[in-house]
Amino acid sequence: MNVPDGTLVRSRVVGDPRDPLAAALDRRLTGYAVFEPQEALLLDGGSRGIVTFRDGVPELVYYTGTDHGGPTALADLAMPGPYHVELYRLGPDELASIGAHEELVVPPGMPAERLAGDPALAASTRRAAPGDRELSVADDSDESGQTEPGAVEAFLADEAKIDAIKTQAREEAQRRAEEWGFE
Amino acid sequence: MVEAFAVASGKGGTGKTTSTLALGMALAEEYDVTVVDADMGMANMLFHAGLSDVETTLHDVLAADAPVEAATYERFGMTVVPCGTSLDDFRDADPDRLREVVAELAADTDVLLLDSAAALDSRAAVLPIVLADRVIVVLQPTIPALSDALKVQEYATSYGTDVAGLLFNKVHDDDAIERIADKTERYFDGPTLATVPDSEAAREARRAGRPLLAHAPATPPAEAFRRAAAAIEVRDGGPEAVADRFRSAVIPDSP
Repeated sequence: MNVPDGTLVRSRVVGDPRDPLAAALDRRLTGYAVFEPQEALLLDGGSRGIVTFRDGVPELVYYTGTDHGGPTALADLAMPGPYHVELYRLGPDELASIGAHEELVVPPGMPAERLAGDPALAASTRRAAPGDRELSVADDSDESGQTEPGAVEAFLADEAKIDAIKTQAREEAQRRAEEWGFE
Repeated sequence: MVEAFAVASGKGGTGKTTSTLALGMALAEEYDVTVVDADMGMANMLFHAGLSDVETTLHDVLAADAPVEAATYERFGMTVVPCGTSLDDFRDADPDRLREVVAELAADTDVLLLDSAAALDSRAAVLPIVLADRVIVVLQPTIPALSDALKVQEYATSYGTDVAGLLFNKVHDDDAIERIADKTERYFDGPTLATVPDSEAAREARRAGRPLLAHAPATPPAEAFRRAAAAIEVRDGGPEAVADRFRSAVIPDSP
């Protein structure tokens, strides 16, 4: 996916990927977010996830580490934080220049479900989506926050990723035990 | 017989307090049960258990302003120790005193359930997991919740606390959950205790200020919580030995 250079509007490290998704929705951002999970450094050397937005609503998702797009890319990107996230603004024409890329399309509420685990944010995002988006792409989440099992099972099938999450958590627990004065 | 369980999830919104009280009520059919709101920064057990008007809470005990027994309430067949919601009281509370409180409560009960913080980012949040014998991990079948549950397990085992099992809560899709639970179990040291369907009954119970098993005992989620409780084999241990262990737990006095 080739993304034009946008105007940086926000850059920060967040513990929860909900923050940038909510910020994009609040600003009705047209542009894209670059997610760089800290754990990507462990797993595949600085991979990034790109999420494009039109008027605050996610459209396309791509993950550089696996070359996956769409819902699969969200599963790749779903890791415990922190993430370094940058939000960029694009003009509508610039966004259109990325192209249609059906294989990269995600339903409007899916990033909030998959990355943030936040059904309320997913519901607000779906409400903000134009009607044709909801009709053109079957959203895997209903109003009560139900999610498609496929991506969860794909996540659970990725043993290397889960091992990396566990290893990182153990290291963090041991490091903090010293900080917190646990013997 | 005393065993202390931390009911934990790395993420908020999984229904941890509902689960703690439901497991407590189900286990109280067989055991003396004490439930403690150990989520000291975001207490909400008092709202779930109809205790929002009580004067004395765990915060007062942790601030050394009250003895433990002043903050224990007999409700729904259990002993309930709520936390308060005042930020001032929270600031005055010394989380390290939790160890003493747990030791004192352990001397007089069969099962201790510690409702833990939905975070692993501070000493106070992790303390209940450190103090417990085993952790019950409450999660939803979503990627963020699974990631956080893995983190809870690794923290727990790093600090010498075993995993009693997984409790899938707020489950929507009955077919997929069996496959997801099977795959999830491969990464955890404990079994799936139950899968609890999402239900309006849990939200109604919360609004009514009553535990789910008191408010809607014949509903599918209530039955699932009872199955989860039945799947937990409470381990024998002398109360004195346990109290001693909590007193000599790995946490040093605060500086």
